[in-house]
Amino acid sequence: MGLKDKIEAGEFTILAEMEPPKGVDVSVMLSNAKRVKDGVDAFVIPEMGNAVMRMSSLGGAMVLQNEGLPTVFQVCCRDRNRLAIQGDLLAAHALGINTVMAVIGEDPSFGDHHQARSVNDVDLFELIKAIDRLNQGKDMAGIELAGAPDFLIGSTTEAGAKGKSTEVEMEEMMKRVEAGARFLITSPIFDPSLLDPYKKRIDLRKVAVIPTVMLLKSLGMARYLVRNLPHLHISETIIDRIARAPDKVRECVQIATETVRELKHQGFNGVYLSTLGWENKLPEIIEGI
Amino acid sequence: MIVADKKPIEEIIDYVKDYQSILVLGCNECVTVCEVGGKKEVGLLASALRMHFLQQGGEVNIGERTLERQCDHEYLEEIRDNIDHYEAVVSIACGVGVQFTAEKYQTKPVYPGVNTLFMGANEARGVWSERCQGCGQCILAISGGICPVSRCAKRILNGPCGGSTAGKCEISKDIPCGWQLIIDRLKALGRMDDYEKINPIKNWSTERAGGPRKVIREDLKL
Ligand code: SF4
Ligand code: SF4
Repeated sequence: MGLKDKIEAGEFTILAEMEPPKGVDVSVMLSNAKRVKDGVDAFVIPEMGNAVMRMSSLGGAMVLQNEGLPTVFQVCCRDRNRLAIQGDLLAAHALGINTVMAVIGEDPSFGDHHQARSVNDVDLFELIKAIDRLNQGKDMAGIELAGAPDFLIGSTTEAGAKGKSTEVEMEEMMKRVEAGARFLITSPIFDPSLLDPYKKRIDLRKVAVIPTVMLLKSLGMARYLVRNLPHLHISETIIDRIARAPDKVRECVQIATETVRELKHQGFNGVYLSTLGWENKLPEIIEGI
Repeated sequence: MIVADKKPIEEIIDYVKDYQSILVLGCNECVTVCEVGGKKEVGLLASALRMHFLQQGGEVNIGERTLERQCDHEYLEEIRDNIDHYEAVVSIACGVGVQFTAEKYQTKPVYPGVNTLFMGANEARGVWSERCQGCGQCILAISGGICPVSRCAKRILNGPCGGSTAGKCEISKDIPCGWQLIIDRLKALGRMDDYEKINPIKNWSTERAGGPRKVIREDLKL
């Protein structure tokens, strides 16, 4: 069963992040993806995450699709205006990609091209609506398409992030769903209980909520995230566990696996595994689920 | 100066239709010079609003006031004593004035009465045109004193593009091609050598694309 059918049927799905290369050598990305393809429903190809220039999501997705691997193409508000966004979406569908994920994109100041001008012609909400509209056979100018795509549309949610108002986030989620999103991927979740207030109020049959499980790579990384990304909640218990473990990498993988298991047990629609370049650890995480 | 233009009166009426007392607040600077938000226009807008409410059979109190500037604490303080006589404010200063008034009087709704457009010059009586987009890193020195950022439709730094025809920009036959203007000017200055040089890619982080900007002058701080 494909991702689209699985999400529509409410089955637990496993999405894995597959960062395209900064360059044209796709061999590492391909071999990492092939190693875990049986355990993964689709590979999400980030659109220049953290505004670091690398191969585009559409390009990376096509490389994997050509090898028969299902992908989720990320469309991003930061770098393209409404013409380019819609053009890429049509191209993606014609080339066999049927799942897209709308993202806002981090500001260029986060990345490696600080002087770049961001576009943000279309905001996230408008972007989701635009994809939905393409699905209905019309572009953003209201002009009829010669053949409409049929995308499964996803986006992001900040649900479970620290320092966010549940009220506002619920509102945001509902707006994205009304605009056409069928699945929403959260920011990294280390403590599933942070999603409790949302779970109580959201109908998981209407929208698939897919928490991100991020693989911590080391004690240093965990501490760095605590210091620099205050919206992520990484408890002292987790930090302690890594600190005390003789094999820290193994412990980090173990923590990720346990988080996935817990989220599955709680009835979430799937997980998004974010391994930040350590895609070679995916098999271990997936095997443990 | 900052150039603004009138908003349709219907739009303003729609913002304030439910209030019983409204202050129309003007500004003595740029918007006075471009004849859209000064004392005279405060009077005109106030009369138009009075007329409208009268026709609707309502008794609405419309106050009039014009401050020296709406972008300065000092002048905005002048209305502190009587702002509470009004339920809402229509500011016909530029967007800066509207916001600074709203920031100062947190619980008072403040509505914009003009559309703020650009930083420009008064070309002729009744004609204003854009000259600067405040890009934060002025490159006029390399472009003969004519700004490609604000006068070229594509904001290209090495022009003209293929759409430049008979000195006009491809977007309209009424708009001069910014790069034709630059070339003409460099010729007049005898500096066509400058035109031969390739201008480096622009650092847009100092422009609005880099987020809201701020100037802090330690030498002037109190
Ligand atoms: S280069 Fe920048 S600062 Fe200079 S006139 Fe043009 S927009 Fe204004
Ligand atoms: S025609 Fe001239 S002003 Fe218009 S976009 Fe091209 S270079 Fe810029």
